[in-house]
Amino acid sequence: MAALQEKKSCSQRMEEFQRYCWNPDTGQMLGRTLSRWVWISLYYVGFYVVMTGIFALCIYTLMCTLDPYTPDYQDQLKSPGVTLRPDVYGEKGLDISYNVSDNRTWVDLVHTLHNFLAGYSPASQEDSINCTSEKYFFQESFQAPNHTKFSCKFTADMLQNCSGLMDPNFGFAEGKPCFIIKMNRIVNFLPSNSTAPRVDCAVPSLPQDPHKDARPLQVQYYPPNGTFSLHYFPYYGKKAQPHYSNPLVAAKLLNIPRNTEVLVVCKILAEHVTFDNPHDPYEGKVEFKLNIQQ
Amino acid sequence: KLSIKELEKKYGTNIITGLSSTQAAELLAHNGPNALTPPKETPEIIKFLKQMVGGFSLLLWIGAVLCCIAYGIQYSMNTSASLDNVYLGCVLALVVILTGIFAYYQEAKSTNIMATFNKMIPQQALVIRDSEKKKIPAEQLVVGDIVEIRGGDRIPADVRLLSVQGCKVDNSSLTGESEPQPRSSEFTHDSPLETKNIGFYSTTCLEGTATGMVINTGDRTIIGQIASLASGVGNEKTPIAIEIQHFVHIVAGVAVSIGILFFIIAVSLKYEVLDSIIFLIGIIVANVPEGLLATVTVTLSLTAKRMAKKNCLVKNLEAVETLGSTSIICSDKTGTLTQNRMTVAHLWFDNQIFIADTSEDHSIFDQSSGTWASLSKIITLCNRAEFRPGQESVPIMKRVVVGDASETALLKFSEVILGDVMEIRKRNHKVAEIPFNSTNKFQLSIHKTDDPNDKRFLMVMKGAPERILEKCSTIMVNGQEQPLDKNTAEAFHTAYMELGGLGERVLGFCHLYLPADKFPETYTFDVDTMNFPTSNLCFVGLLSMIDPPRSTVPDAVTKCRSAGIKVIMVTGDHPITAKAIAKSVGIISANSETVEDIAKRLHIAVEQVNKDAKAAVVTGMELKDMSPEQLDELLTNYSEIVFARTSPQQKLIIVEGCQRQNAVVAVTGDGVNDSPALKKADIGIAMGIAGSDAAKNAADMILLDDNFASIVTGVEEGRLIFDNLKKTIAYTLTKNIAELCPFLIYIIAGLPLPIGTITILFIDLGTDIVPSIALAYEKAESDIMNRKPRHKKKDRLVNHQLAIYSYLHIGLMQAVGAFVVYFTVYAQEGFKPSFLINIRVEWENSNVNDLEDSYGQQWTEYQRKYLEWTGYTAFFVGIMVQQIADLIIRKTRRNSIFQQGLFRSPLPIGRDLALSLDAFRLIVLPSASRPQYWFVAVPFAILIWVYDEVRKLFIRLYPGSWWDKNMYY
Repeated sequence: MAALQEKKSCSQRMEEFQRYCWNPDTGQMLGRTLSRWVWISLYYVGFYVVMTGIFALCIYTLMCTLDPYTPDYQDQLKSPGVTLRPDVYGEKGLDISYNVSDNRTWVDLVHTLHNFLAGYSPASQEDSINCTSEKYFFQESFQAPNHTKFSCKFTADMLQNCSGLMDPNFGFAEGKPCFIIKMNRIVNFLPSNSTAPRVDCAVPSLPQDPHKDARPLQVQYYPPNGTFSLHYFPYYGKKAQPHYSNPLVAAKLLNIPRNTEVLVVCKILAEHVTFDNPHDPYEGKVEFKLNIQQ
Repeated sequence: KLSIKELEKKYGTNIITGLSSTQAAELLAHNGPNALTPPKETPEIIKFLKQMVGGFSLLLWIGAVLCCIAYGIQYSMNTSASLDNVYLGCVLALVVILTGIFAYYQEAKSTNIMATFNKMIPQQALVIRDSEKKKIPAEQLVVGDIVEIRGGDRIPADVRLLSVQGCKVDNSSLTGESEPQPRSSEFTHDSPLETKNIGFYSTTCLEGTATGMVINTGDRTIIGQIASLASGVGNEKTPIAIEIQHFVHIVAGVAVSIGILFFIIAVSLKYEVLDSIIFLIGIIVANVPEGLLATVTVTLSLTAKRMAKKNCLVKNLEAVETLGSTSIICSDKTGTLTQNRMTVAHLWFDNQIFIADTSEDHSIFDQSSGTWASLSKIITLCNRAEFRPGQESVPIMKRVVVGDASETALLKFSEVILGDVMEIRKRNHKVAEIPFNSTNKFQLSIHKTDDPNDKRFLMVMKGAPERILEKCSTIMVNGQEQPLDKNTAEAFHTAYMELGGLGERVLGFCHLYLPADKFPETYTFDVDTMNFPTSNLCFVGLLSMIDPPRSTVPDAVTKCRSAGIKVIMVTGDHPITAKAIAKSVGIISANSETVEDIAKRLHIAVEQVNKDAKAAVVTGMELKDMSPEQLDELLTNYSEIVFARTSPQQKLIIVEGCQRQNAVVAVTGDGVNDSPALKKADIGIAMGIAGSDAAKNAADMILLDDNFASIVTGVEEGRLIFDNLKKTIAYTLTKNIAELCPFLIYIIAGLPLPIGTITILFIDLGTDIVPSIALAYEKAESDIMNRKPRHKKKDRLVNHQLAIYSYLHIGLMQAVGAFVVYFTVYAQEGFKPSFLINIRVEWENSNVNDLEDSYGQQWTEYQRKYLEWTGYTAFFVGIMVQQIADLIIRKTRRNSIFQQGLFRSPLPIGRDLALSLDAFRLIVLPSASRPQYWFVAVPFAILIWVYDEVRKLFIRLYPGSWWDKNMYY
């Protein structure tokens, strides 16, 4: 602003600026002669090349210190997150609503499930092995081909009624929809000590009217009991188990009241899975609103 | 000019009875009270608001408004937008307001200190009204009032003197003349300032009594007119204010250009336009150094405090630095350079000049001569001054004396050398006396001697030397009377000229023992008829007096000179006195000559002298005839200038002339006459003890001890603060880039945001404040007083070297270092650097709760968020560690840190460390940062330090080289 207060006409200013851009007396461009510009540019180029080199060196050193199979720390991954398919998000979290009689409202949902389960077709699982043991599948050494570890097969047909094979509409058409629940992968995570983790879906009784006769939710789980078999654990990381796919549990909700919004919470019950983190709604559980119209 | 009768008629009054009360009341109502209207007080609220909108604050305000706009845009797009921008805006506003309050409080405090000076007892005036003598407050005087003035009174208004008995006034506050001016009732000069029959408002009557008629009151008095001249002079912007404005321009320029550049990049990367606008605002706001305003204010007030301890009270915080950039000091003589008290300096008797140094206990001249015995007797006896009683415990030089300046000097001189003067006077009983007056120019008294065997009377006389010599026929040499021949007369003249040439006031002394046969003990002397001889006396000696320079001044002037500051003396005093003082304090250095000196030495006419003189003595009369161009020429060609006999208006002209040379001008002054110049100057310095209220109001700074040497310490502090502010700003700007880069990378490369707004605020307003204030305590690198004052237009506070070096060199290194910490944290948690690029959209999508990392693990939104916060902490830690290195390198600009000493002022480092640890506890712990991350950035901190040491080394090795020009800030 001080500069503006000096009494100079606009043309004078322009002239000064032009002179700054190109000064014919000294051969200066923008306050420096050409050779000076070259020098200063060279200096900066050199400086930045060196800085980039140092940075690259640091990152390279960092990468060298990292274990390729397991991350150094898992501070945030104490307990796995849980996700739901189909995943339609509303204003606040998962919000699924459709009209039974209007198949345009649910064809997208079904489509999502089909797409999701495409990764669990026998063809895409053929690199994994069949596991039958109900125990943790510990692998100390890399016995699988290409210096990897084995992964257990999980195919869509294990979800039976919710596999989309028998009922391509996943029950959406009759108002008894299937929802697929997936637990997030965490390297070397063991969900429980001996029992397999189990999914449990329920409609929580609302605090404002606990006396309302909430009909207990009837759920059919696939695989039976809604358990994740222990042989899918522990996960050894992407590099060790390139063909690993998360085990799934499908929940078929049988008695959803029509034309009302219902809040459903699916928890994973296991000793090492917590679902009471007030900040993280997806840790150890998944909540979704369901509104089936007719 | 008018006769008394005419005066009575003109003002409708009567000199015997005075005005009637009713008349007076009417006039009072009509003309207002007899007081100077105080300069328009800026209302407190305006002062307060001014603190809020000054240069720097404006930048923060704009930032705050931009934040709110950004939030508005975000809110319109998504109602659940994060409140970060609002917080930032509020914090910015809060910073401005708090700093404003602090600065306001600081200034109010120094104004309060000032106010204590102003508490003066309301002045009373003795006035004749309704034929009665009344004491009324001076404020109620009206034109036409008849007032009586006695020695010691302040003259209550402009007064036409009607009858006068030996009245002398001190006009120094008006004209700057230090000598008492005799007053009489005769009209002597057309100009009211010169004529003797007018006494001026606010001057002091030193002795005698007078009766006068009030002719002007309040603002219409001469002094009132000068005071109003001061309020007409605009206040100049302080240099530091200009510098800060320049700095704001640079910051704003950088902010806006980076912002627009990245706006274009963002749009071409196919971001939404609204998103890009938010980025643009974010970048601009990120460039605002939030903490700097507070830092600068605190730094300045710390220095102000330090200066106040050294007797410089700063009224305006920004004036702290002004003194440091001062290149010309226009100093007053009386009181500032000199002690403002007459002292005997030299004696001449027995054809010899002796130096009398009364400041020391013993005198070094020969006291055995009989001449000295006679001389000392004359000095003691022919003197009417007396000590005020009850001061036995006070050192002689500090005792209060009733009498004029030269008699006081003589009294103190004889008291020091001879002992109890009063006792000597008692022993030599005074029988007759003729006091000094301007017509006969001598003072005479006749005493009985203290020798009981000697029945003769002793007549002693002192006065103007040439007059005294005329009355003498003999001269005393070595105690013997000798006839006064041509040789001795010659010797007298040489001595007289020599002493006069030193600017000293010379008095001659002679005596005569009256023969006992003609003047028996019972003889009655009649002073009116002069029935005693006043010629053919015996000349004894000369004595010269001067108002001596303060002992610290010569040293201070030398310091100023080596600091490249030109010291100009501006005084109302006589040229010869002015020149003598200038020489003795070094304003005219020992080996430089004026044109007149050269002419005299070479015995040629003044006109013939080439212009190779360095010094010049210019009188007010000469100045009056000069054109501005001639004045400019004078100011540039001569390095040592003394202006004598100048008027207040001329002082203003001189200041303006100096300012035309692009100089930063400091003016010292005490009188009302100085206030226009004080205001016009870049920094006006008023005297705390001797200064008038008007001067103090107009000044930016007040010297509490009236000592010129205090100015030099002020200059030193001012220069130091300029250097240290540079360091502080460099320190602050550096991390600005480290805080901005993450955001730029976030936009371009789509990384998770490396550092959040709140964290940035925590650095800027938390951990960085104390270290940057601590830089203000940094000692000077080299002798700052051996440097030329900075050029107003070339040596900027923030030059482009500083900005470039901070932004593009150190800032960039810091950013790289911090990014390494950031990448380390992410990689160790599972996200390798290559994996992070362009992850932004998924990362921030709250609907993705199974985002895969490099190890195939899946993350919910909250888990990612938490990791992002850990990332903030990591980046914060990276910046903190490197800021410690930055702090170390900013301690010096040229010297190696080893030369400066890392722990010579250990404050900053220690505090920074302690603070960082606190910071760690406060905000870092929740996100569980590991201690080893503190060491990741250490190599970069060392790199920064080594790089800067190399820079400084090359600057020292190759001064003036390409490197020096580009790298020294």
